[in-house]
Amino acid sequence: MAHRTVVVASASGLHARPAKVFVQAAARLGVPVTVRLGEKAVPAKSMLGVLSLGAVHGTEVTLEADGPGAEEALDSLVALLSRDLDADEALDA
Amino acid sequence: MRDGLLDPRAVLLHESAPDRTAAIRRCGRALVEVGAVAEPYVEAMLERERTISTYVGEGVAIPHGTNASKGDVKRDAICVVRFPGGIDWDGERVTLCVGIAAKDDGHVPLLAALAEILLDPDRARALREATEVSQVLKELT
Repeated sequence: MAHRTVVVASASGLHARPAKVFVQAAARLGVPVTVRLGEKAVPAKSMLGVLSLGAVHGTEVTLEADGPGAEEALDSLVALLSRDLDADEALDA
Repeated sequence: MRDGLLDPRAVLLHESAPDRTAAIRRCGRALVEVGAVAEPYVEAMLERERTISTYVGEGVAIPHGTNASKGDVKRDAICVVRFPGGIDWDGERVTLCVGIAAKDDGHVPLLAALAEILLDPDRARALREATEVSQVLKELT
């Protein structure tokens, strides 16, 4: 089991928009990834699951995956969570 | 969910709308009517939706404003608007909208509580198929 611990960098936490960007990226990977926060573990590609974590800016979450491609998959999601996805929104606008 | 978030007057169970934009306007108006947000928040909800779809699964969308529009939020609130005929939501079919208004970081615990409810298929179905305001209040409080 590969795993990474990462701090949520988005200013407003892992809520609707940053959560959606994360979930869409996870769904494209083709490797099932689990997000763990305390007792809760949810599939990274489940929008409702990720939202239910209630992760705010600075929350530490753990990503887990198994099998071929797991390391690369986790690296790409860690890179995403380490970015302020709300700041990206400001750039879009 | 937290008490006082959902005003019974913001539960509309028999709405219809031709498209996603009209559905979001209906949600925004419900939030305006209960005094939770100022009028410009409605446009901010449409702007948010253009950036990224607020569809979350289970036939539910959660329209809300942009970060820049938080100044138009007077108090944290949600509205529940049901569209029994369904709305095409960027390729997904939505029959229930939960409009959200939250100041500061209020949206994170609010969304978490809502997601937790919708992750339970029985409760999600009860909300989608609710015909009485009391059923919605029971599931969301």
